[in-house]
Amino acid sequence: MKNIYKVNDNKFKSIYISYNFTFETKKEEVPKNVITSLVLSKGCNKYKTSKEIEEYLSSLYGINFDINMEKIGDLYNIEFRLECVNKEFLPNKEDVLKPAIDFLYEIIYNPKIENNEFDSVIFEREKKLVLDKINKRKDEKLKYAVLKTEELLCNQEPFGTYIYGEVNDAENVKLEDIYIQYANLLEKSFVSIVISGNLNGYDDIEQYIDNVFKNELDKAIFNEELINISHKNIDFTTKIKEVKEKIQTNQAVITIGMRVENLEDNDFYALNVYNSILGGTPSSKLFQNVREKESLAYTARSRYYRFKGVFIIYAGIEEINYEKAKIVILKQIDEMKNGNISESELNSSKESLISDLLEWNDSKISLAKLAYTNAISGKSLTIEELIDNMKKVQLEDVAKVAKKIRIELIYLLGGEDSEK
Amino acid sequence: MKNKIEVIKNETLSETIYKTVLSNGLEVYICIKAGFTKKIGMFGTKYGSINNDFIDISSGKRVDMPDGISHFLEHKLFEKEGDNSLDLFSKEGISANAYTSFDHTVYFFETINKFRKGLEMLIELVKTPYFTVENVKKEQGIIGQEISMYENDPNFNVYFNTLRAMYINHPIRIDIAGTIDSISKIDKDILYTCYNTFYNSNNMFIVVIGDVDVSDTISIIEDKFKLYKKNIKSDKVIKFRVNEPNNILQKKIEKDMGLYMPQISIGYKLLPIEKDEIIKREVISDIISEMYFSKSSKFYEIEYNKGAVSDDIDFIYEGTNDFSHIIISTTSPKPDMIQNDIFNYIDEIKNKEIDANLFKNTKRRKIGENIVESENLNNSYRRIIDSILHESQLYYDIEILNNIAIKDIKDFLNILDYTKAVISIVK
Repeated sequence: MKNIYKVNDNKFKSIYISYNFTFETKKEEVPKNVITSLVLSKGCNKYKTSKEIEEYLSSLYGINFDINMEKIGDLYNIEFRLECVNKEFLPNKEDVLKPAIDFLYEIIYNPKIENNEFDSVIFEREKKLVLDKINKRKDEKLKYAVLKTEELLCNQEPFGTYIYGEVNDAENVKLEDIYIQYANLLEKSFVSIVISGNLNGYDDIEQYIDNVFKNELDKAIFNEELINISHKNIDFTTKIKEVKEKIQTNQAVITIGMRVENLEDNDFYALNVYNSILGGTPSSKLFQNVREKESLAYTARSRYYRFKGVFIIYAGIEEINYEKAKIVILKQIDEMKNGNISESELNSSKESLISDLLEWNDSKISLAKLAYTNAISGKSLTIEELIDNMKKVQLEDVAKVAKKIRIELIYLLGGEDSEK
Repeated sequence: MKNKIEVIKNETLSETIYKTVLSNGLEVYICIKAGFTKKIGMFGTKYGSINNDFIDISSGKRVDMPDGISHFLEHKLFEKEGDNSLDLFSKEGISANAYTSFDHTVYFFETINKFRKGLEMLIELVKTPYFTVENVKKEQGIIGQEISMYENDPNFNVYFNTLRAMYINHPIRIDIAGTIDSISKIDKDILYTCYNTFYNSNNMFIVVIGDVDVSDTISIIEDKFKLYKKNIKSDKVIKFRVNEPNNILQKKIEKDMGLYMPQISIGYKLLPIEKDEIIKREVISDIISEMYFSKSSKFYEIEYNKGAVSDDIDFIYEGTNDFSHIIISTTSPKPDMIQNDIFNYIDEIKNKEIDANLFKNTKRRKIGENIVESENLNNSYRRIIDSILHESQLYYDIEILNNIAIKDIKDFLNILDYTKAVISIVK
């Protein structure tokens, strides 16, 4: 059935339902989308307030329901997600899955709208909540430093926007925008539904979902290769930017932002291995050198953003050690570029990545995520195929992608305290 | 099989725990999770940051250790001659780590297909300390950065200040990692004293979670232990408890961290209770949190509309046989307002009749949540470790949930005493 994906595994006891709206967005549109989806989740015609919603979900053995927002490269995804127990494990074999699906329909497609306007009280509340989220991101320094690096690195691209958007854009959102944005969301998104977990006793579940959402799914656009949007023309700078930001803190954070030039689909595996060797595990170059050898940090890691071809390295350090940490980190990147990677580094990194992939089998959410990623990229990769491809990665593949990686930014989030 | 194996089955979660005690006193728990690919192995000691005052097992003398030493020891145990164990695990593709809490320290690994190897390496890791003057020095730098990381974390500050306001003498007041100053007093000799005393089999436990073979697992452990037979004396540890008065130290602590959104936490100091009663309090508190403070509560709606809260309000019980308290925490642009509202509200609900329908639905929610959470392997080991430390029955949390009555909720609310309450705010 179009746009409905099912993963069944009887080792689970519960079921995860993920209803996704994936779309292209502009920086300034981000808060509008966030507020719209939050407003939807806090009341509809049938369950008027968030209290009514939660009471209803409690009575169905505590269905978990929330909204998850995610950047998929330059695309944006809003996910309405539910988690409930399979009837076999509940007293009197009470079915809560079908009520959960009906509930989701009410929330998304039967919202509280009067005279083309959403509920203003809910709107004001959610808008304020989003503003709070944007403003308080500075309260956690390590996370903030990474977010800031994303922003500085890709400031002209949607990816460089905080998941809740910017303060100014959020402040400008008006009640009437929500109605327009709601219509946009329904019209211009790629809609996909994933259901995963223990579906024993629910052979007809796809049919059921299709019946409930049929009219809406027929209207939704179907975009097989949405994800390719992410890889379009980026101008690479050759100059490394160095940025320092002052903040009240007693631990500084150094980050390094890097980009992959000419990112190709097949680089995925080698880039993951690259990340793992550089800073993904305790045997990685960053952990071994920045932490174990030089005692400069407790946290020293790298992260790879697969949908964007971006790497961010981050370490919590003492500010006076900034120059030293910079040299040590840059040296590790150089080692990667020069192919100074041992067989044992390669193999243990691959082992660790393969373990991570195998572990997806234990999580209905990871399994759903894989199905979703396949859906938006028009693929049908299995965990086994991912593992096979990961196994094939050789030293020269890692060395090859290492040469495509450009350092673009060195950032220090430093303390006023240490200057006193 | 020469060891007696106890089998504890839980129907609601459809899982089974096998428990045995080896001849050296080591407790072993194996929880079978059929069909799951991941296996977790944990090796722990009933020794944490609050156990600085004890009898040295080798000399028989009472000693007093610097703050943060149990955590320091946890870090140092990963160091081996010429190698770092974390690196060795990592090279096998096995992920390993450890944590130190107030009353226990645990080393663990996670693997998909190298369970035997992982378990053997875990035992070797814990049984072969290698402390030197140089490697102790090096660790002071790394832990120094770890301490700074926590000092920078508003959650951590608001939480520890709540404990510091509530407790007068109890070592729970002290950071698990210690301070830069206290860890500078640590040397290799005292690390060995702590190790020899607390890392003896009588004071330790192994927990395994996953789809493994029970008798194979026990054999692997027994065989590996034979290699380290005569290493250290195995005996019951004598730990001293401080005398902690019932009253609080100070009503309020505030700290400025330049936050956009202030964090507030209210603590109610309670009298410690023991064993199953601890679990019961946890379950009751969980129900109270859901009924009275969650986003579906009337209170939350009112406070939210007043702009007094910006995130969840949590109502959490924490306790061992040795301390006991409730912590209510949230983030708020108006911490003084929410503080007063919470105190008034607690007085109000103490005397108010409980909505039977709400109570019934909350119990249904908790039953559902328990089933969903049982898919997470971490949840199974937390339950086992709690039972080891509190000496409570396994699955008592599931059993008691069905039996909790409205009266239990009322009784518990009524032990919350304003004169034993403290406030911690980080701005």
